[in-house]
Amino acid sequence: MAAFSPMLRQLGCVRSSLRTRELVQPQIARRALSTVYSARPQPTPLPEKLPEAFLSQLPQRLRPDQEPKKLKIYPPPPSTRAVCRDPIATLTTSQLSVLDPTSERKKLFDYRRNPRSVKVGDILRVTFKNGDPFSGVCLSIRLRGIDTSFLLRNELTRTAVEMSVKLFSPNVKSVEIVERTATRKRRARLYYMRQRKHDVRSVEGTVWHYLRQKTSVTGQVSGGRKKKN
Amino acid sequence: MPPRLHWNLLQLPSLPGKPRFIVPQCSIRNFGIRSLNPPKPDRFNVGDDLPVLKSTSTAALERKAWTLPPRTGAIAIKKGMTAIYDAETGQRLACTVLQLDRVEVVSHKTREKHGYFAVQVGAGWRHHSNMPKSLVGHFSANGLSPKRHVYEFRVKDESGLLPVGQIINAGWFQEGQYIDARSNTKGKGFAGVMKRHGFHGQDRSHGVSLTHRSLGSAGPSQGGGSRVYPGKKMAGNMGNEQHTEQNLRILRVDPENGLVVVKGAVSGPKGCVVRIQDAIKKPWPEHTSVE
Repeated sequence: MAAFSPMLRQLGCVRSSLRTRELVQPQIARRALSTVYSARPQPTPLPEKLPEAFLSQLPQRLRPDQEPKKLKIYPPPPSTRAVCRDPIATLTTSQLSVLDPTSERKKLFDYRRNPRSVKVGDILRVTFKNGDPFSGVCLSIRLRGIDTSFLLRNELTRTAVEMSVKLFSPNVKSVEIVERTATRKRRARLYYMRQRKHDVRSVEGTVWHYLRQKTSVTGQVSGGRKKKN
Repeated sequence: MPPRLHWNLLQLPSLPGKPRFIVPQCSIRNFGIRSLNPPKPDRFNVGDDLPVLKSTSTAALERKAWTLPPRTGAIAIKKGMTAIYDAETGQRLACTVLQLDRVEVVSHKTREKHGYFAVQVGAGWRHHSNMPKSLVGHFSANGLSPKRHVYEFRVKDESGLLPVGQIINAGWFQEGQYIDARSNTKGKGFAGVMKRHGFHGQDRSHGVSLTHRSLGSAGPSQGGGSRVYPGKKMAGNMGNEQHTEQNLRILRVDPENGLVVVKGAVSGPKGCVVRIQDAIKKPWPEHTSVE
């Protein structure tokens, strides 16, 4: 600064503009250099017939005997998962083929597809293998494959009784429709029938009429425990 | 008098050509069951009439032999629950369906090398690019495809070591036999003490504020050491821990589909890994050959 004479001091404002040009120019140039593409350097190949004595001078990964081993990948054995994708369905089908070979029972309760099936509100009569019958109003039908069941409600000795019957149980001998519901129920589960206002109470009378009609048609007493003389 | 160096500093530069004596400090790694107090022979406990010491690894294995199954188990996947009707009584039995998928013997653990006998078993399949190279090498060396799940099953002796590469299918188990099923329970996340340990919580009212579901006290005060004792039951992560369901009867076996149906429930969600092995609290089943 001391080199400038007082005469030139008035030109000091020009100095700043000169300085910026000097400074900025190389910065741009440097930035441009970084964007130049350079290919990744290829590893220099080793000279052929390199004596073993020189190998120790190389880094470990470059030594010919230290190359990564090629692992042999073996194919997997045949998969059972591919054969049987849904084991639960397989087990259910195999069981139903034994318990319900004609799929008659399945159709009887498949209320979503079969229009002639049992509906909630119907009065049903179930006969078990040991001879015990049970009848009642069907409150709900639970469609769950092999676990399909329905809930019956009746009144025995003035006590309300409910029984959940497994449809495909081998202990269930037969299921009969005693009386179909007069009107289509608007609910899938008629749990409101447990309230006193809606309770149908005992269905024994309806069942008795049904059994008498049946006996007169077929001429034989079906189901029920026979009275011992 | 010039300043004298300390004699320690004089020894610091090591002389070339004269290596310093190094005492090996690393201990040798031991395998198997070890006693914390190994028997030390001295001039008093040596003699023919003295009993054989029981604090050795051999004696420990002998004690364990009573509860070790003679044959290996298998890795299965829980597929869900359903029911089976008993053919004779007509009884409905809730059951769990397990599937064995490409279960193979991967390698062995032996008494000589590892301190105990076990069969390492792998199941499923996984792409080799999706697993550590060391594991790929392990399967490759044994001539097996990369396995998704690898577990080991302890066996009593070397007669239980199936040959490497042997496929274990559902036929390895018999209908009517009993098994133990080992799996991780369903994870419940961070749970409070009421859910996790069944604490009763605190009152709804009577001045209780903001601590209705928390624990009461974490321990005694000054008389008890003014600290929380180790193992104090507190809130924390619940579930997702190993649980063994013992003595599950096998209701059905389907080797074609790799299915093993066991009575009752097995811990864990659907799709979890279940390790099944002969029940240790029932008589061992008759040895069956792998089909």
